[in-house]
Amino acid sequence: MSDIDRAIEQLRACRPIPEHEVRELCHKARELLVEEGNVVTVNAPVTICGDIHGQFHDLMELFRVGGDVPDTNYLFMGDFVDRGFYSLETFLLLLCLKVRYPDRMTLIRGNHESRQITTVYGFYDECLRKYGSANVWRYCCDVFDYLALGAIVLGASNTMPSTTASPLSRDDVEVEVHSSDGRIISRFLRHQDSSENQGRINGGPNGIPSDSSDDTPTTTAATTTSTAPTLTGPPGSGATGSSSGSLGDPAGAVLCVHGGLSPLIDKVDKIRLIDRKQEVPHEGAMCDLLWSDPDEIDGWGLSPRGAGFLFGADIVKQFNRKNNLSLIARAHQLVMEGFKEMFDASIVTVWSAPNYCYRCGNVAAMLELQEDAGGLGVLARSNGDVNRSDGGLAGGAASWGAAGQNDALLPTKRTGPGRIYHVFQAAPQDSRGMPAKKPVADYFL
Amino acid sequence: MDPPPLTTSPNPTTTTLPRLAILQPSKTHPFQTPSKRIHTAADLPHFLSSLAYRDIGLFLLQLNRALCPRKQQQQQQQATPSTSSTTTTTTTNPLRLPPRDPPARQFTLDAPRSDPPSVVRLRDLLSKLEGFIEEVPPEKGPRRFGNPAFRRWHALLEERVEGLLREYLPPEVLQTWGEEGVLQEVKAYFVGGFGSKERMDYGTGHELSFLAFLGGLWKLGVFGDGGGGEGEVERSLVLGVFEPYLKVIRRLILTYTLEPAGSHGVWGLDDHSFLPYIFGSAQLTRPISDSEPMPLEGSVPGAPKPADILKPAIVDRLRTENMYFSAIGFINDVKTGPFWEHSPVLFDISGVRDGWGKINKGMIKMFNAEVLSKFPVVQHFPFGSLFSWEPDPEAAPVSGGLGTQSPATGVSGPGTAAPWAQATKMPGSAPGPGIPYTKVPWTNTPRGGGAPGTGLPGAGTVPVPRGGVPDTGPPPPTAFPRGKPGTASNQFAVTKAPWAKD
Repeated sequence: MSDIDRAIEQLRACRPIPEHEVRELCHKARELLVEEGNVVTVNAPVTICGDIHGQFHDLMELFRVGGDVPDTNYLFMGDFVDRGFYSLETFLLLLCLKVRYPDRMTLIRGNHESRQITTVYGFYDECLRKYGSANVWRYCCDVFDYLALGAIVLGASNTMPSTTASPLSRDDVEVEVHSSDGRIISRFLRHQDSSENQGRINGGPNGIPSDSSDDTPTTTAATTTSTAPTLTGPPGSGATGSSSGSLGDPAGAVLCVHGGLSPLIDKVDKIRLIDRKQEVPHEGAMCDLLWSDPDEIDGWGLSPRGAGFLFGADIVKQFNRKNNLSLIARAHQLVMEGFKEMFDASIVTVWSAPNYCYRCGNVAAMLELQEDAGGLGVLARSNGDVNRSDGGLAGGAASWGAAGQNDALLPTKRTGPGRIYHVFQAAPQDSRGMPAKKPVADYFL
Repeated sequence: MDPPPLTTSPNPTTTTLPRLAILQPSKTHPFQTPSKRIHTAADLPHFLSSLAYRDIGLFLLQLNRALCPRKQQQQQQQATPSTSSTTTTTTTNPLRLPPRDPPARQFTLDAPRSDPPSVVRLRDLLSKLEGFIEEVPPEKGPRRFGNPAFRRWHALLEERVEGLLREYLPPEVLQTWGEEGVLQEVKAYFVGGFGSKERMDYGTGHELSFLAFLGGLWKLGVFGDGGGGEGEVERSLVLGVFEPYLKVIRRLILTYTLEPAGSHGVWGLDDHSFLPYIFGSAQLTRPISDSEPMPLEGSVPGAPKPADILKPAIVDRLRTENMYFSAIGFINDVKTGPFWEHSPVLFDISGVRDGWGKINKGMIKMFNAEVLSKFPVVQHFPFGSLFSWEPDPEAAPVSGGLGTQSPATGVSGPGTAAPWAQATKMPGSAPGPGIPYTKVPWTNTPRGGGAPGTGLPGAGTVPVPRGGVPDTGPPPPTAFPRGKPGTASNQFAVTKAPWAKD
């Protein structure tokens, strides 16, 4: 068994590896990451994950639900560390997996992968407590500087896999939401008239059905939700999405970035020009990519976070069109339902830390993009279905969102690859033993 | 490791423990509208040798010591006004055994007290504020954190604060000092005690502001109506005003899902509060006489064990008596998951072996280092005539705040050593970012050859960022504009740029 496999084994058991091994690991990881571009190209299939924030046991739950490495390819969009109890174990395990399976793991940088932020939000404190010194924190921060800023996913399928039994034509399904045991919670169609296209099941948040024996909810749900407000955004969006503009290339690539867009970046190629190997600056393109948030505004807005910007639907659609993107996947914001599509599914927030900070009560999600088997993915699905409505699409998850708006006659066009959202909850707590020893901070000596 | 307290006198009657001085009433006192003076981390050393820092320290230690249980004196029963003492001290001792100490007088939250009118009025003021919550129910709709209705609650507070203070502060005090001036100055600390309207968060900086509000009133002699025995008014202030204040705060946090301000995640002591851990541990410390200083270790007989915070049933029983357990109970209310995982710092402290006195001493040290010496917390503290930015002439030179890291050991306390030294010797004001741990048990694990665990978070471990970020504390203010509150702020535990200016 190689050193790296042994480290993986130890970290999977949630035990930190010794300092000298961390140093070695970080050195290897840097050598690997330095060869990556600012924007990594990733081929589907891939499962895209959002913030983890040191919730190690929930990361294990994510792997259980999404498939283990290297059987499943993963792309993590940053914020591995801070706030949680196991930032160290979380980041080191992901880094080990990256070193061991470089082509199956993609890690990009979040705003928390920064010296200044980790000294405020916990990772520094954690390293100090777990090692008694800040050396490990320093090794990790040196790796942060080499993480890519974004990724482009190519070759994602426009259709759902034929593995899930369904009376519907696979080609018609654009979005599926799966529970952690693999059941289909809800399904959203690419083109249907509104009365048929009810993807919502009455039930808990995010459309999780309270009674769940039915695996073809799209047909049964229609009757129960026929009075649902007509929204056009897909699940999680709550968006009214009344754009009449072109939405981008439905067969295009998916851009993954932690925060969002920057007024200084109009082309993906401009991201490639950034000198990324540094601490996250307080402003500028690199800062914005890691800090910005989409918002229901026109154009650009100032961010209440004090870094990055807010950007509206018009910005996203323009960017996607210009760059042949079908979707932007990003993380950075807590979403109670685990994911949230906005702006006619031109951008999605994916959040992978369930019951965030032990008190938010949210579920988590990851986004699976399938491999395009027959080359369909490179062809735009041009069904010509203007006047199509996807009323009710946004039910369930989105029902709390923006007020319903009947825009059934607006010529919106569904775009984007087939998307499977795996929704999962916090890992059970019973398996974690209580630590026997209590190191006491110097104040109490 | 720590030196004995400075003020141990063989003759109790001559001992004077430091208290925050009450000002001579004056119509011409130069009241000011308090203003922020700590603009960058480089201003911290000045703060740590200012009169304001001295006064905050004095006041906190004065309140702290008042909560410590008191020995009942057997021989001088007529001198002890406590009713509980009379039953135990009158029995004779026929067997001529050495006299057992009568039970100490303890100061629990639920014990009857006779609060002076000034304190009762402040409590009424607090319930008035709590009543505002009924006027501004949380907004329905999107299930997101940080309910925008809090902004309206806070607006009500700002709109009504002058009238309320006029109504609930003693009229004679307002008259003596001049109403205008008093309100102008104390209002800032009062409003500052109820979270940030913009960020919809609440943290130790806000708590500090409320402490300063009470301290300011103390200096103005508002609590002069509390005759009584030694420490009685102080106890009324903590148990009769501060705990009710925390109750209002907890209700605000729950109602409007306020965020932790400047959260270290699980690695902070508590998401929102600090002082209840100081006062609560004082309540359980080894009893003293009225003239002794605060003990540095030991617990009152019958005290719960520190590890009892891990037992929910005990917490539920004690949260109505003790402020420490009250704070732990609130954590249990809002968090799910193993306690040691979501609150590891409190968990670690539950392993302290030398009793609640030791915990109390540590909490005060930690408050000094993690609250008073941290730029992100104290940058919002405003200074005026009551809490003055003027240097304390008695203050020792300050070796550094965040700006100049000093090793965690062997450095004299920051600035004004006097008030803090009464309780304990202080560590360096801020031994680097993060809570220092020098002894970590598991760093010597079998495979842990490379983890000696000897490094101190000192100068060598200061973050050394690249790319133009200053390496000590937050950078100087940048011109980066802050936006209108938008959706990004309306959620729980959203990360904010530490360099952003309010």
